[in-house]
Amino acid sequence: MAELTIDGRKVEVPPGTNLIEAARKLAIEIPYYCYHPALAPVGSCRMCQVEILDPGKPPRVTIACRTEATNGLNVSTTGKDCVAARAATLEFLLANHPLDCPICDKAGECDLQNFTYRHGHGAGRFSEPKRAKLKHEPIGDHILLDQERCILCTRCVRFMGEYAKSPSLVVAGRGDRNVIATFPGEPIHSNYEGNLADICPVGALTLKEFRFKSRVWDLDSTESVCTGCDRNCSILLETKRNRLLRVRPRVNLQVNGHFMCDVGRFGLLDALNPQGREEQGFVKGARVTAADAVAALAATLAAERGKWLIVLSARLTTEELLLAKTVLGPLARTLAYVPVEANGGDAILYTGRAAANAKALERLGVTALDEAAAAKLLAEPATSGLLSFDAALAARLMAGTKGKRLALIDVVAGRAADAPGAPHGAELFVPGTLFSEKDGTFLNLDGVLQRAQRAQRWPQGTIPETVVLREIAGAAKVDVTALVAKPDLTFALLESFGLPGATLAQLPDDGLKLAAAPATAGAAAGATA
Amino acid sequence: MENYLSNEFGRSGPLLLAEAQAKGRYVQAKRVFTSLTPEQVVDEVKNAGLRGRGGAWFPTGIKWSFMPKEPLKGPSYLVINADEGEPGTFKDRQIMEKDPHLLLEGIMIGSFAIRAETAFLYIRGEYLTAHDALATAIAELEAAGILGASAFGSGRPMRIVLHRGAGAYICGEETALLNSLEGRRGEPRPKPPFPAVWGAFGRPTSVNNVETLANVPAILERGAAWYKTAGTAQAPGHLLFGISGAVERPGCYELPLGTTARELVEKWAGGVKGGKKMRAFIPGGASTGFLPPDKLDVAMDPESLRKEGTMLGTGGIIVIPEEVAIVDAARVFSRFFRHETCGQCSPCREGSAWSDQVIARFQRGEGRNDDFALLEEIMRGSKQRTICVFPEAFAGPLGSAIKHFKGELVAASAERAAHPAGAGGATHHG
Ligand SMILES: Cc1cc2nc3c(=O)[nH]c(=O)nc-3n(C[C@H](O)[C@H](O)[C@H](O)COP(=O)(O)O)c2cc1C
Ligand code: SF4
Ligand code: SF4
Ligand code: SF4
Repeated sequence: MAELTIDGRKVEVPPGTNLIEAARKLAIEIPYYCYHPALAPVGSCRMCQVEILDPGKPPRVTIACRTEATNGLNVSTTGKDCVAARAATLEFLLANHPLDCPICDKAGECDLQNFTYRHGHGAGRFSEPKRAKLKHEPIGDHILLDQERCILCTRCVRFMGEYAKSPSLVVAGRGDRNVIATFPGEPIHSNYEGNLADICPVGALTLKEFRFKSRVWDLDSTESVCTGCDRNCSILLETKRNRLLRVRPRVNLQVNGHFMCDVGRFGLLDALNPQGREEQGFVKGARVTAADAVAALAATLAAERGKWLIVLSARLTTEELLLAKTVLGPLARTLAYVPVEANGGDAILYTGRAAANAKALERLGVTALDEAAAAKLLAEPATSGLLSFDAALAARLMAGTKGKRLALIDVVAGRAADAPGAPHGAELFVPGTLFSEKDGTFLNLDGVLQRAQRAQRWPQGTIPETVVLREIAGAAKVDVTALVAKPDLTFALLESFGLPGATLAQLPDDGLKLAAAPATAGAAAGATA
Repeated sequence: MENYLSNEFGRSGPLLLAEAQAKGRYVQAKRVFTSLTPEQVVDEVKNAGLRGRGGAWFPTGIKWSFMPKEPLKGPSYLVINADEGEPGTFKDRQIMEKDPHLLLEGIMIGSFAIRAETAFLYIRGEYLTAHDALATAIAELEAAGILGASAFGSGRPMRIVLHRGAGAYICGEETALLNSLEGRRGEPRPKPPFPAVWGAFGRPTSVNNVETLANVPAILERGAAWYKTAGTAQAPGHLLFGISGAVERPGCYELPLGTTARELVEKWAGGVKGGKKMRAFIPGGASTGFLPPDKLDVAMDPESLRKEGTMLGTGGIIVIPEEVAIVDAARVFSRFFRHETCGQCSPCREGSAWSDQVIARFQRGEGRNDDFALLEEIMRGSKQRTICVFPEAFAGPLGSAIKHFKGELVAASAERAAHPAGAGGATHHG
């Protein structure tokens, strides 16, 4: 470890740590633009200037991003030369800035605004005509570029090359004619484009999907995870009046680093704002309240013990899966799940496996059945019907089977308000809830258990899956006291894995990396391979 | 001391190999390759006190001694800076167009000294004549087996790769040159790492100027002691002084370092054109800025010019006659530097443009009193605050115009405000 002094306070960091990160450990802000913890430092913006104090020498102004912490180094972030240098840099950056904050999406979370308040001059002296450059140019499927707002930090260029492995942005021109640009006729084509709006420190790169939707200070931000694949990237769900307006990655070095993919980001924006969502229950073709649908389902399962094929889904939280396994296991003919194959993943984050909580199903030891095996089981005379938490999968399984009954607990979108009959002709339909409408956890492919917090209210009429399961347990007299006696289901879950209990609230913000499953609990794991 | 750099400058075309060899060219390179060690060459150059002619005047032998003694897991390279972009500078061009084998012999010896088997000669894109002369000369050496698998039968391979730039002043900065050579955007690299550690293609590299290398054969031939008989104690040898602007005989003059600017301008270049008065002179390329005529007695060596608050730079003198207003001359350079900064560093990109806009206002008769403080602030906010020393370059003409000619700037602006039609000069509005 290297021990150094910053503004008179001592801090220990691993050798090689740069001064920005060392100062961050002391909660001392060294402002920066071109630096980004996930990209190689280039040292061009000149915003992170600090002073190195050597005994007997005048203070030496240098950039923090490319200065490594070494033992005994004495750094000042408040010396007059570096304060003046940073203020000068800001004045340079603001000289030609269009200052269209009142109509800029970034306002409120813009580092040019923020650092100007904290490190800049009160007034600028630039009185020449400002440069005119391109504004709101589409450069990809999602991103618009405003060259006037751009401060040429090149984070976007380096992100596309270093991280997205798709070097599609360049600095074109020279000097003050420099602009960010794509190659002629070749817009960005990448699954990581959305991150550009996050890494751009100013409002030069904005998302089509978010433009003019909201001032950022009006958004409610909730920590959650992405369910686009079983990476479970740490994210923020940002809503206004219950509507999800923006999805952003949250730093989690053991899961997704600083970024997320577009499949997740824009997929969630659609999935969590479902259009034409069915918000009522059905029993035998008749619209009923969800409560009545649940009562009918519970009565059916209680009366027909051991006759239903029950298929769980990786869309459910780990807690829901634990409860479902406990309640439905004794009632089902077979309790199973159908593993999802990877499709179109990449070597960066996206796995292509659209089964957010697949690892939890595996770890809970739920039987894995492929679709053919599940359909075969359903077709057997001893099986009277299928209860599925995944409507689309159920539709496929039912397609080749005649005379079987169907019960669904799921969120189904794309329905007309007065659609006749239940989705997929189900005899019993319970309108379920989205993961963003409740608290719970997801277990990612590497065994990191993360909290997904409730970001939206569930619509009146729908009913959370845990409530459904408790109703069924009551009607069918399945004993769940062992679970509900625990502080919460997360606690019970960890104990069921043979780990020390912890409640949902006690989980670390970046998740809990679970030790590998003991051999006995992994009995069903091979089935997914 | 007799001339050793410019002997062929009177020719109309390049000196070819056979004739060059008849005059003794490559005798030293052969001796070096077949009977000396790299240390002996480095020591001779160190003892001679040779300093880099690219503008920074760093001791060449010391630069070479930073190179790895045993190339570590791969090659070391010599890169020759033939980008010569500094306004008022045209000395390297003379060497390459007229006496390419002088440079090539220097390159071979320099490569040997740093244990490089490949040298990359990066030549300014506009220098087509020089490029062709070098290409021919390299082909001659390859045909003669001097370059190739075994230079002079020494068993040591040697090749020289000629690479044309695309016309950017900043590519003369050695690390921008390396990026450009590698096919990247021509932007200076942050240092450290220095080229001796991480140079061309990530290998240890020494970047040397054309004229610097052209000094080397003579040093090997006649020895360090001989070399030090010319020039100053701290800067020995001859320099190719380029003299341009309003003089009777503009051209490239080989003279000892420390010769006065007055001797160069008045004796060698024949004085100000048409016997007119001089308004100012630039001692060593645009970035060294303006000096008033009463400084003509300054000795042209790095130390003497530093005492005057400027630099020797490339030794390219530009004479500005009385009829050219300082504001117009300053604007030529502020436009040049604004145009040529790579623009990656915020203070340099914005500072060069902003100061050009301010100078442009003076040119139009719209200068203001507080502009001087503003210009000083722009220079203060950018000098020593960026990846390379480009802000020092654009601050050269700007700072010296304010320092020596402030009254003229104010008067010119006031006069042009009163007579807008006479403003003339460049009208590019920033
Ligand atoms: C903006 C800028 C432009 C430069 N242009 C040139 C050039 O055109 N030719 C050159 O030899 N050196 C140029 N230099 C200096 C080089 O960076 C480097 O110091 C030199 O090539 C080293 O060679 P030397 O040690 O033989 O002088 C430039 C430096 C700067 C900062
Ligand atoms: S667009 Fe944004 S990220 Fe890209 S260089 Fe400009 S300011 Fe930086
Ligand atoms: S990699 Fe997977 S979890 Fe991460 S954002 Fe993409 S879809 Fe979501
Ligand atoms: S100082 Fe100027 S020329 Fe040098 S790297 Fe920075 S922007 Fe480019």
